[in-house]
Amino acid sequence: MTIRFSVNGVGFELPDSRGQDTLLDFLHEELNLTGTKLCCGIGVCRACTVQVVKPPSPAPVPTISCSTALATLDGTQVSTIESVARNGRPGPVQQAFLDGFAFQCGYCAPGFVMAARLFLSGLRAQPVPPDQLEAAMMDAIGSHICRCTGYVRYFDALRPLAEAVNAGEAIEL
Amino acid sequence: MSAPPVSRAAPMSRRGFLRTASGIIGLSVLGLPGRGQGADVGVPAPLGPVPGVAAQRIEGLAKVTGEKVYARDFRARDMAGWPDHQWHALFLRARTTQEAFLGLDLSSLPSGATPTRVVLGSDLEPGFFDAPVEFRRDLHIDALLSARAEEQRKTAKVGSFNLPDGLSFDLLVRPGTTPNFLGQAVALLLFDSLATYRAARRFLAGDDGIVQRYGPGDGPDGTPLPEQPFDPRTLYVKDPDFDYAGTDAETYAREAPQVQARIREALDAATGLIRQPIRAEMRAMDPMFMEPEAGLAWIDPARKEMQLVLGTQSPDGDVRNIASMFGSKASPVRDLSQVTLHSCYPGGGFGGRDSSPFSLMLALAVAFAEGNPVRLAYDRFEQFRVGLKRHATVAQGTLYAHADMRLEAVRLNMVFDGGGRRNLSPYVASLGALCAGGSYRLPVADIHAEALHTENISGGSQRGFGGPQAYFAIETALDDLAAAQGWDPMALRRANLIAEGDTTVTGGPIEQSLNLSEMLDIAEAHPLWAERAAIRAGHEAEGRTYGTGLAMSLQAYGTSGDGMVAAVHLERDGTLTVQSDAVDMGNGSATTLGVTIGPILGANAARVEMGGYTLFAQTGLSDDSANHQRWSDPMWTQKGTGSSSACLTGLHQVNTVQQTAQALLRGSLLVGAAKLWGRGPLSADEVVWEAGALRPAGGGGAPLTLATLARAVHEMGLPTGALGHAYFQNVWAEADFDTPGGALHLQLDGLAYYRGSKTAPLPIPRRNGRYPAPETQRYSRYVWAPCVNVVGLTLDRASGRVQIENVLSVLNAGHIHVPEMVSGQSQGGVAMAIGYSLLEDMPPGMAGPADGRWNLNRYHVARAGDVPLGDRYVPGARAQELITIPQPEGSKRVGRGIAEAVMCSIPPAISNALRDATGVRFASLPITPEKILGELAP
Ligand code: FES
Ligand code: FES
Repeated sequence: MTIRFSVNGVGFELPDSRGQDTLLDFLHEELNLTGTKLCCGIGVCRACTVQVVKPPSPAPVPTISCSTALATLDGTQVSTIESVARNGRPGPVQQAFLDGFAFQCGYCAPGFVMAARLFLSGLRAQPVPPDQLEAAMMDAIGSHICRCTGYVRYFDALRPLAEAVNAGEAIEL
Repeated sequence: MSAPPVSRAAPMSRRGFLRTASGIIGLSVLGLPGRGQGADVGVPAPLGPVPGVAAQRIEGLAKVTGEKVYARDFRARDMAGWPDHQWHALFLRARTTQEAFLGLDLSSLPSGATPTRVVLGSDLEPGFFDAPVEFRRDLHIDALLSARAEEQRKTAKVGSFNLPDGLSFDLLVRPGTTPNFLGQAVALLLFDSLATYRAARRFLAGDDGIVQRYGPGDGPDGTPLPEQPFDPRTLYVKDPDFDYAGTDAETYAREAPQVQARIREALDAATGLIRQPIRAEMRAMDPMFMEPEAGLAWIDPARKEMQLVLGTQSPDGDVRNIASMFGSKASPVRDLSQVTLHSCYPGGGFGGRDSSPFSLMLALAVAFAEGNPVRLAYDRFEQFRVGLKRHATVAQGTLYAHADMRLEAVRLNMVFDGGGRRNLSPYVASLGALCAGGSYRLPVADIHAEALHTENISGGSQRGFGGPQAYFAIETALDDLAAAQGWDPMALRRANLIAEGDTTVTGGPIEQSLNLSEMLDIAEAHPLWAERAAIRAGHEAEGRTYGTGLAMSLQAYGTSGDGMVAAVHLERDGTLTVQSDAVDMGNGSATTLGVTIGPILGANAARVEMGGYTLFAQTGLSDDSANHQRWSDPMWTQKGTGSSSACLTGLHQVNTVQQTAQALLRGSLLVGAAKLWGRGPLSADEVVWEAGALRPAGGGGAPLTLATLARAVHEMGLPTGALGHAYFQNVWAEADFDTPGGALHLQLDGLAYYRGSKTAPLPIPRRNGRYPAPETQRYSRYVWAPCVNVVGLTLDRASGRVQIENVLSVLNAGHIHVPEMVSGQSQGGVAMAIGYSLLEDMPPGMAGPADGRWNLNRYHVARAGDVPLGDRYVPGARAQELITIPQPEGSKRVGRGIAEAVMCSIPPAISNALRDATGVRFASLPITPEKILGELAP
């Protein structure tokens, strides 16, 4: 038996014996993709968030890579922070965080970017009443830990994008 | 992924060498592997086109796209010229201080988890620790230590462990002796494969004691003994006839005890004074920066060069200490000729990476890695277990006041739990002692502060540096005094505000406008305070308990003497590069320094290179303390560079970069412009920058772009870059320098000009220098970032849970370069203060993180839901509003400290709000629901 999955569009096939390795270690050590960050390693801080599509559901979900065993990834498509910018141009969430001075040391930023993008794509698929947008943002990124910023500027940077997407504006995430 | 290109070669320099027992070792600090910090990151002009305004953080794109910028991101394969194969290091840690460590029994390790090499303390020669590893910070304390060390050198026998200001205790406990503290390393395990390393980690996770043996043996080696203070302690006694600042060190040491007795006697006898007890205690706090410490090292056998990849707040001190240790006669590395640090962006710091022992542990690991690169990467459990903490502190004393609200005296004893290693603990205690005077005029003071050596995790530099503990003690006591006397807490503070012309508890004068009264006016008029009764009534009507608390702080920044160095280059293509010895740990120093040259040179920096350790050597200056000519030698300065701490950026580094930019403008660019315009000498006020070009203020010359000017100065042989060194000790050292643009008077004590090359500038000896008076060093601090905080909170009496509803911070931040970063720093300070006050609970001893089992599931930091996310006060909503005091016209474009200033007075404001809500004083941090329920139980 093997475990098959893709990372940023590149397919991998690994022996079952690798099943207990974590996705985060695989990204770091094997693929040299170190943009996804380790902080707690036990599933609390969400710094290590990546995006995973697990068929049959086509909807990507945020996944904490430090606590995800490779064995659970068979058949999935994983996307990491390295896949977000196109030709060196930051995606809209990244740009919003840059313009809004949302992060400081930046170590938590990749996790916030991945969660925020997924939140926006979810919002596009299923808008919420405007008075519930704030609570929806809190659901999406409220459990991510950032030690530097006090969170305010992350929310401030994301809010206009969320309002636009929620209102049906076509923004390529 | 391809490896980044090879790092730039280490520039050679005089200061880049250290004389050690076994010879001379070269020292270098380079930027990120592959590039300087902030250099070539992202789009060509990341700071944006508007001079003086930052469009984004200069390194922001690299961070937000997940590029390799943190030490944790690098592996040997990423390093050009290194072997690809990498070893892994793991330290086992002491689990008791009651028995001797006898050795390891690795027989239970599963096969596949066996280390390639095991190193014990007995594998190190005792003399290895003779090296003068220094944790120094503050000139007025260092002067005392130097005098004492000199004394000891004359009298003490030279052994391994008698260094008064050194490392104090072994890096690895020697088998047969008792560990000095919990978490002290007892063994180094090295693995030549990732798989074995991981297997061993998995096996040892949660309890590395299963392979350690303990039993009867020798007691702990080294000094001080448990529960004894690290040297030195701080005592500030002040009365109208005597104080620290006004007395020379020797006389002070001799007479202070008598003055202390005199003060105590007088206070005990005074009948008309109101006495308010001070009693506060605080748990240790973990800085919990998000990136656990990690690093990479390799010894290049051909060049005998130790290379390290690290994210540190003290690159200068780290390389010197490593060179010092490994240059000792007993060093496990023979003939080391060079130590090179690749300095990465720290993933958070808050002081926790300032003089952290991590760098020494990494260097120790590579010494035994048999020529292989080695990686040392703490996980979060280890980081909690051994990372530097904010000290647990107990403060006890008395405030004395007159019936008309005037404060007469403070008596306070502060005991900081320094934990295992000395580190910067005595310096933290010392600043805590200064802060204990609060923002108030106090004619009489008797303040003692010390950091004890205990078995606990080492304390170190942390945001606020002793301030949070001191302000918590003094500001809660003031509130109790007001409550006991029926005084308005605002009025009590107002009656005692310190101002220009007054003196601090050291006796040092305040020579800076603080605007405290104006700040209180703003707070008093703000609806969060003015309408507090109505707000409370509103909450109570809905069944919630509500309270309002006020506190203020006068956080000092800088140290008792700070040296800084900066370079500004005009490249051939007309772009600007700034280099600085400072480190950007996320506080935005690189961005601030990049935009601060904008108004002077017409554009923001295209590149900012931080951590420029070798810059000082290029100035041609020396800070040799044995030079008895001192300031009369035009190439001498009091201090080269110091540890890079956030609070130096706003004032110190910014002014240094600005003065250096002025030197480039006036000493070169204006000379070139005058020639191009065919005019005589130009002064800076005869020109203006407009749309990226220089033109004569009165017209009459074609606008010159920076690209044109760059071509001109490069072709005319004029300076293409300036290098400035500055020294601040109450005032700036100032001097005249002869330049191609004539004699310039600058707030610099060293200036050199580059012509083309970026490493070999020509120094210009200063003339007509004006220097800080030596005795001002004993003021301890000179510059202040005052803050007033008002907190409104609700308490759920059933659960004991507190919710911070609103925070108002009125801050005197000086000139604000990047408003977005100031508000971000402030918000970060608010969140950290909320965590410190209410959430972050860390017991000492093996009941706490020293057991290796602590992580974020047990240690709770503030999350988004814990902080008010609005940024403008609106009745009925949660917000944190920051009001900064506008700077008077004509004041300099320099800033003050931010996050530490805001965070210092929030914990007492929270406790004061809880007292307002419940009538109960919570004087022990953190104020957990359990403590609240315990106190409020019927
Ligand atoms: S690293 Fe904290 S959740 Fe994965
Ligand atoms: S920006 Fe440093 S942890 Fe979020």
